[in-house]
Amino acid sequence: MLDFFTIFSKGGLVLWCFQGVRGPAAAATAPVNALIRSVLLQERGGNNSFTHEALTLKYKLDNQFVLVFVVGFQKILTLTYVDKLIDDVHKEFRDKYRNEFQQKGALGLLNGTFDFKDDFMRLLRDAEESSKVRAPTVMKTFEQSLKSQKTVKCMIETRGEKPKEKVKNKKNKGSKKEGTEAVAAPGKASASDKQPSAAGEKEELTKDEILQKNREEFFKRHMKAGEKSRSPKPEAQKEKGKKPRVWDLGNSNAKVLDYSNSATNGSTEACPVEEFDPDIALGDRNREPGRLYDLEYESDDEAEEEKIIQNPSKPSAKKGGLGGMFGMLKGLVGSKSLTREDMDPVLEKMKDHLIAKNVAAEIAVQLCESVAKKLEGKVMGTFTTVTSTVKQALQEALVQILQPQRRVDVLRDVMDAQRHRRPYVVTFCGVNGVGKSTNLAKISFWLIENGFSVLIAACDTFRAGAVEQLRTHTRRLNALHPPESHGGRTMVQLYEKGYGKDAAGIAMEAISYARNQGFDVVLVDTAGRMQDNAPLMTALAKLIAVNAPDLVLFVGEALVGNEAVDQLVKFNKALADHSMAQTPRLIDGIVLTKFDTIDDKVGAAISMTYITSKPIVFVGT
Amino acid sequence: LEPHLEALRRELPAPSPAVLSVLLALLAVAITFLIWRFVLGRRSSRKAVLLLGLCDAGKTLLFARLLTGRYRHTQTSITDSSAVYRVSKDKSANVTLIDLPGHESLRLQFLERFKAAARAIVFVVDSVAFQREVKDVAEFLYQVLVDSTVLKNAPALLIACNKQDVTMAKSAKLIQQQLEKELNTLRVTRSAAPTSLDGSTTGGPAQLGKKGKDFDFSQLPMKVEFVECSARGSKGEEGDADFEGLEKWLAKIA
Repeated sequence: MLDFFTIFSKGGLVLWCFQGVRGPAAAATAPVNALIRSVLLQERGGNNSFTHEALTLKYKLDNQFVLVFVVGFQKILTLTYVDKLIDDVHKEFRDKYRNEFQQKGALGLLNGTFDFKDDFMRLLRDAEESSKVRAPTVMKTFEQSLKSQKTVKCMIETRGEKPKEKVKNKKNKGSKKEGTEAVAAPGKASASDKQPSAAGEKEELTKDEILQKNREEFFKRHMKAGEKSRSPKPEAQKEKGKKPRVWDLGNSNAKVLDYSNSATNGSTEACPVEEFDPDIALGDRNREPGRLYDLEYESDDEAEEEKIIQNPSKPSAKKGGLGGMFGMLKGLVGSKSLTREDMDPVLEKMKDHLIAKNVAAEIAVQLCESVAKKLEGKVMGTFTTVTSTVKQALQEALVQILQPQRRVDVLRDVMDAQRHRRPYVVTFCGVNGVGKSTNLAKISFWLIENGFSVLIAACDTFRAGAVEQLRTHTRRLNALHPPESHGGRTMVQLYEKGYGKDAAGIAMEAISYARNQGFDVVLVDTAGRMQDNAPLMTALAKLIAVNAPDLVLFVGEALVGNEAVDQLVKFNKALADHSMAQTPRLIDGIVLTKFDTIDDKVGAAISMTYITSKPIVFVGT
Repeated sequence: LEPHLEALRRELPAPSPAVLSVLLALLAVAITFLIWRFVLGRRSSRKAVLLLGLCDAGKTLLFARLLTGRYRHTQTSITDSSAVYRVSKDKSANVTLIDLPGHESLRLQFLERFKAAARAIVFVVDSVAFQREVKDVAEFLYQVLVDSTVLKNAPALLIACNKQDVTMAKSAKLIQQQLEKELNTLRVTRSAAPTSLDGSTTGGPAQLGKKGKDFDFSQLPMKVEFVECSARGSKGEEGDADFEGLEKWLAKIA
C-alpha cells in the first residue's frame, strides 16, 4: 500500500529504493525533492509529515550517519503502521550497514551495494499485521457486571426511608463488594476502596452515615495488614507538596515549573510560551513589581544575521560531586551522541533568547524543534560541548533561512523589461504607517541614480495628504536630477487622479501612460490597510490581480513582533483567495523599514523570511 | 667603505661566546621555521577540486561517475560529500573531489567553508535548461568570481556543460558567449546595488575583467576552460559517461 520508500544520504546519493506501485522509477524523486526543498531546507522539520499533491510523505533523519528515510503513500489512506515501520527500518538498516558508513564517508556509500529488499518486505509484513484490526472485545455478561451485585432494594430511592436500613444495605453492599473484590489483585484495592464511596454517593448520606462509613473503612484498612496501596497514594501526594521549588531559571526547564493540569488539554504544549512569566516564577519579594530583569546568558546573542560571532561559550557548569564532573569530562572527550534530554535545556535557553530578540514566539518554537530534529543522535566531536553544537546548528539554520531562495537583482530585471519596451511595475503594500511612501521615494532615488526614469502612481486615494507627499518627493528628486542632465527627459513624474477614486483603475491607467511615454519603472503606492479588514484586502487583491505587477513588495517595519506572522499570512491568503489565475501572485519580496530604530533586536527579519520564504529585497533605515 | 667597517669593528665590543651561541640558535630556529612554512605552502594544502553549480545540474551524479564509474540515482544534496580521486594511469597524484550542494540557501555557506582549500573549481552547467536559467547561472558564477579568496588564489576554472546527451543541449561555445554577455551586464548592476547589511561590498573594489571593454573570460586572473560532458552517458544508465575532456583536465591540474 506504500507508494515508495527511499533511503538516501544527505549528500544526495540514493542508497536504496522500493517502489510499491507500478510506475516510472523517477516518480519517487520529484516528491522527495519537494520535501527536501520545502521542509528540510527551510527548517520546518518540526513535525515529520509532509503533503505533496496526492501523496503524504513521512520522513526520518539519521543524524549520526547523515541518512534520510522517506516513505510515501496516498494522502487519502490513513496508515497507522508507518511510523513504526520507519523506526524499525531505520534500526535494521543502520545495524546491517554500519561498516559501510563508518568507512571513509562518501566512498563507502558509493561503493556499497545495499540489498535490503528481503529485510524490508519482512518488516513491512510485520508492521501491516500488527496494525490489523483486532477482534472486537466481547461484552461482559450481566453476571460479570457490578450491577448484578447490588440488591434491588438498595437501588430503589424512596424519600423518608429509615436510615438504618440504608446503612445496613450499604454495609451489606460494602461487604459483598469486599468479598467479590478480594479475589482481585491487591493493586486494584484502591479502586475498590473508592467503589463503596462512589456507590454510596448515590444515596443521601447523613452525617452519622458518613462517620459510620469512615469508621468501617478505617477498620477494614487495619484488617488488611498486607495492603499498602492506600498509603503510597496520600504519601505520594504529600511528597509532591513537599518537593522543593527550583528557583534558578537556568538549570530547569519550563516543564518542572509547569503545575498546570496537563490532562485537561491533552498536551502540555497548549500553554503558549508567552504566559511563562519569569517574574512570577522567580518570585523575588524585595523587587519592585513593575521591574523586569534581563535574563543573563553565558553566550552572546547570535540572532544577528550580519555578524557571525565566533564566541567561545563556556561549558555549562554542572553542580554536584565527582560523578557530575566525570560526566562533563566524558562529554568533552570522545564520541557522545546527543539525546533529546541533553539538548532540551540548551534549546530552551536559545528559544528564550530568540524571543528576547524579537523573533515571533511560534517561529522560535518551530525553529528550535527543527534544530532538535536535525541534531538528535548526532555524534559530537572531541572537545565540543552540547551548547556549542546546538549553537552552531542554530546559527547555520538562521543563515540558511535568511539566504534568498531566488535571484534578487532589481536592476537586472528592469533592464530586461527595458529591452522588451514595457515598464517594470513594482507595488508596495503593507499595514498603516510602516513607511511605504517614504521608502518608495528612497527606492526611486536609487533607480534614478542608476539612470532609469520612474513614474510614481499615487494609488493611495484615501489618506489625507498622500498625493501631496508624493508630489513633494517628486519635486525634490527632479531638483537633484534635472532633465537637462539626462538628455531632456524628466526622471521622475507623478501620476495622480486625486482622492476617492478606485486604486486599481488608477494603477492601470498609470501603467499604460508609462508604456506610451517610455518610462522604465512604475512604482505603485497603495494605502495602508489592516490585514483583518476584509473589504480593503479584497481591493488590494483586485489591484494586484488585474494589473499583474512584476514585483509585489510587502513593506514591514522591523519593530513588529508577533504581529509580523499574522500580517504576512493574512496578506498572502487574501492575495491567493481573490486571484482568478491558476498560480496566484503572492508577495515576492519584503522591505524591512525602520531598521535603525532596533539596536540588535533584529528578529523581525527572521520571522518574516521564515513565514514567506521570500527574500528581503530592501532594508530601510 | 673599508675604513668605516674597521671603525665599526673597533666600536663593537667582542661578543661573548654565550651570546653568540644564543644568537646562532635563534637564527637556526628562524630559518627552520621559514623553510617549514615555505614547504607546507608549496605542497599547497589546497588539494581540493570543488564541484559547483545550480540545483539539478548533475554534480552529484558526476561525482559518483568519476569515483566509481557507475550510475546512481540521486536526490537534492543537503550537505557536501568529499572523496579522494586518484587520477589514474601514470601519475600517482590524487585530488580531493568535493561535491557541494547547489540549493540557493546552502551554496554560499558551503562555498565559504571550502573556498580556501580549492585548487580548482568545476562549475557544472545544465546545458538543456541553460536558456531559461542563464541569469541564475551567471549570478552564481559572478559570486564565485568576485570572491576575494578566489581572486587571490586564482584556482583553475572549468565550466562543464553537462547533459549533452539530450538533443536540445546547447553547445559550449554558445554557453560561453551567453555567459560573457550576461556577466558584462551583471558587472554594472551588481556594483550599483545598494550596500548590503553585513558591510561586504558586493563587487565594489573587485572589478571583474577590464573596465571599458566588454567582459571576456580571458580577462580573469585564472585559467578558464569550457568542456562538454554528459554524466549520464549516451548509452543510458548502463553505459559509461562520456567526460574525457573533464578527466583530461583533472589529470592536468593534479
